[in-house]
Amino acid sequence: MRWLFSFLALVLLGVAQAKSFSGSRLLVILEEQSEKEKYSALLGDLNDRGYQTTVESPKADKLSLFKHGERAYDHVILLPGKSKGLGPALTANQFLDFMKSEGNVIVALSSSNTIPSSVQSLLLELDIHTPTDKGALVVDHFNYDSVSAADKHDVLLLPFPNPPRRDVRNFFAGEGVLAAPRTVGQVLGNNSPLLAPILRAPSTAYSYSPKEEADIVEDPFATGEQLTIVSSLQSHNSARFTVIGSAEMLQNEWFLADAKLNGKAVKTANREFAKQITEWTFKETGVLKVGKLLHYQNEGQNKKLNTSTAIPENNPTIYRIKEDVAFQVEISEYKSDHLVPFFPASDDTIQLEFSMLSPFHRLNLSPIGQTANSTIFGVSFKTPDQHGIFNFRVNYRRPFLTNIDEKRQVTVRHFAHDEWPRSWQINGAWPWIGGIWVTVGGFVAFVAVWLYSAPTEKSTKKTQ
Amino acid sequence: MRLLHSFVPSLLLSGACIVSAASSWSFEDASISVSGKGSGAGAKDKLSPDTPLAKPVSLGATDTLKILLTTTDGKTAKRPHQAFLTLTDPTSGLHESFVFSVKESGKAKVDLSHKDLPHQFLSSSKPIPASIVIGSFGSSAPYKAKVFDLNIALDPNTPLAVPEKPERYAAQEEIHHIFRAEPRSPPKIISLVFAVAVLGALPVLFGVWATLGANVNHFGKAFGNAPISHALFYGSIVAMEGIFFLYYTSWKLFQVLPAAAVVGLVAFISGSRALSEVQERRLAGLR
Amino acid sequence: MSNTSAKGASSKSSGGQLDAQKIAQGVWSNYVKKTPQRVKLLDSFMLFLVAVGALQFLYCLIVGNFPFNAFLAGFSATVGQFVLTASLRMQTNPENKTEFQSISHERAFADFVFGSLILHFFCINFIN
Repeated sequence: MRWLFSFLALVLLGVAQAKSFSGSRLLVILEEQSEKEKYSALLGDLNDRGYQTTVESPKADKLSLFKHGERAYDHVILLPGKSKGLGPALTANQFLDFMKSEGNVIVALSSSNTIPSSVQSLLLELDIHTPTDKGALVVDHFNYDSVSAADKHDVLLLPFPNPPRRDVRNFFAGEGVLAAPRTVGQVLGNNSPLLAPILRAPSTAYSYSPKEEADIVEDPFATGEQLTIVSSLQSHNSARFTVIGSAEMLQNEWFLADAKLNGKAVKTANREFAKQITEWTFKETGVLKVGKLLHYQNEGQNKKLNTSTAIPENNPTIYRIKEDVAFQVEISEYKSDHLVPFFPASDDTIQLEFSMLSPFHRLNLSPIGQTANSTIFGVSFKTPDQHGIFNFRVNYRRPFLTNIDEKRQVTVRHFAHDEWPRSWQINGAWPWIGGIWVTVGGFVAFVAVWLYSAPTEKSTKKTQ
Repeated sequence: MRLLHSFVPSLLLSGACIVSAASSWSFEDASISVSGKGSGAGAKDKLSPDTPLAKPVSLGATDTLKILLTTTDGKTAKRPHQAFLTLTDPTSGLHESFVFSVKESGKAKVDLSHKDLPHQFLSSSKPIPASIVIGSFGSSAPYKAKVFDLNIALDPNTPLAVPEKPERYAAQEEIHHIFRAEPRSPPKIISLVFAVAVLGALPVLFGVWATLGANVNHFGKAFGNAPISHALFYGSIVAMEGIFFLYYTSWKLFQVLPAAAVVGLVAFISGSRALSEVQERRLAGLR
Repeated sequence: MSNTSAKGASSKSSGGQLDAQKIAQGVWSNYVKKTPQRVKLLDSFMLFLVAVGALQFLYCLIVGNFPFNAFLAGFSATVGQFVLTASLRMQTNPENKTEFQSISHERAFADFVFGSLILHFFCINFIN
């Protein structure tokens, strides 16, 4: 009986582990099926996390990222192979369409294999630049593994990365050393806000081509931290694309290898890093979800933000100018398989824009409360003294987090005819009020005089 | 003899091992000079691999910085794979490396001028630490150390062309709408003075009327002739003004209109009768 | 001849001011004597309205016209009432009897009351 229960528990556990926010169908493209053994630990980890993995060669017939117009898989890992062409199912446009349908892609490169032409054009399309020379790789004479690359220095040992900016959450933090053997370095274009480096090369590293620059490097492709080893792109529809410069980082032998960095023996922590990369790219982490969005008229200047459910009239469509308004939004973060409250990085704030054509207000939202699975962010402000059609907009885009763009449209009307202050309340108007009532009083008295006064002509004649 | 023969190679080997184990990259005969355009060779300083230069080196807009050195592996001059001059921006931590062109003999040189530098360095106000990085394959220990500080002297006439900041997703500056100033009333005392002056004109009017001999002597006669009409007529005028007063203080328009219609009707009907009575008195010569 | 004309001329220039004063006095005494009492009552009411209007206008000049609707309401109350009273004076002045034969004094007075009430309503509505 006990084995039945434990078996059931195991099955349920397996079902409960389905983690990705956007689906569990994974396609791994690997040309040499014999190399599948080298990636068995990675694939095993992915299967444990609930992915249904299909391993195909690019040459397989009927391989297609799409089926009946919908994407056939949710995630793709492209591992390097020998051939320069990947076939008609995996052109750059196919990958771009896949991403447009919110599919996530990991592309792994290797310096010993030429980058396929469709991958080259795909990377160029995304403004990720790779060396054009065949066999170019990254070396570092200061941070290399003296066990496996004592002479060639082409196995880099690096610490877990810091986030590219202080206000960005770090999804790739950890203790230990990462091995990057025979990496194809990338250079990210400067103009796109969608690109973010995950793992950068150290400042003493450089990329060179062993065929042409064996003796001395004269014109390196790039040097130092301009080279990225793992780069990422998150498109406007939050589809994620990661380039791993060293496919060998994902192989079994490097998941827990013994290495030596500057004389100190270390063990590589590639397994943890591979887990973090796949978790981020396949939308298990860094996924935000917006819950209830609420705005209401905040009666009274001193009224604190009302976080109870008994809130007066919610989300009205019309406001008046110069009125106190309170705004709240619930944001959750997806963690493993459920939603938890979201907290932005310490230097970062979520902002609300109250804008017509351009923002009249741009205010920082602060956390005012928490529910079981979301944080409530709120702010209160006064509507501008301009009437028109306004939008409440929360436009929160940050590296490594899915995009939030919530808009609610409201009308802001001018004062109604009976909302102005009364004339007697304005002390500047008192003389004119007096003027009117004096005229009225004089008129009433005049009517009485006119109707009932007897002439005194005789008296005037007398004085004459 | 045989012993010596067997000894020497092992000695040599151990010696070589000791030498190769301890060998590290460095440089010697290093000099740095800044020369202006056309002004010929400028100041020349010697660079030491162990201690950085005490004074920072200044690079003007038309100057060229020239560094000459010989790279060495241990004691012998040798060409390394990597020989870089790396500049580090003190504020942002940005690194940029410039490659030495090294001959087989180990003699290396690099030139630097404003056009080679990225704008982040050109706009730096603090001195920029410059390090030399020498490394190669094999087991020789690589070399990396700061050798001097670089000061950028910008040309005061030509402004720096800083490219636009690229778009990045981050929190932007807060905007708080600035409201138009509310129109303000004048000081209360002035308004009070004028209000009192205006109200005071009414008693003055009554005084003038009194001097002119205004009276209500025909009141009795008029009411004797047509009591209801006169009462209603004058009453409805007063009532109308009363309705206006209520409209001013509390009533809404749609309360006023029916009341005003009723009172107006009363005024019309009673007024025609009352005024015909007045006409009688006028035609009788009493007015 | 020339002496008297010269004298007359000099008396005119030196008495020019005196003449103006005399004319004004003449006008005033003529007014007091000739105008019926009822018309004088009307005229004093109109003078009162002018004074109140001038006071309000002076106040506006000093402090500005905030609130503008209040200024318009107050000022036009006095001005409008003045106009209505002036038209009542025209129609009931015994000297104009020949021109307003078809309109009886009472009819003029009824028009006056009607117009005044509408004016008052408008001004009270406008000043809020």
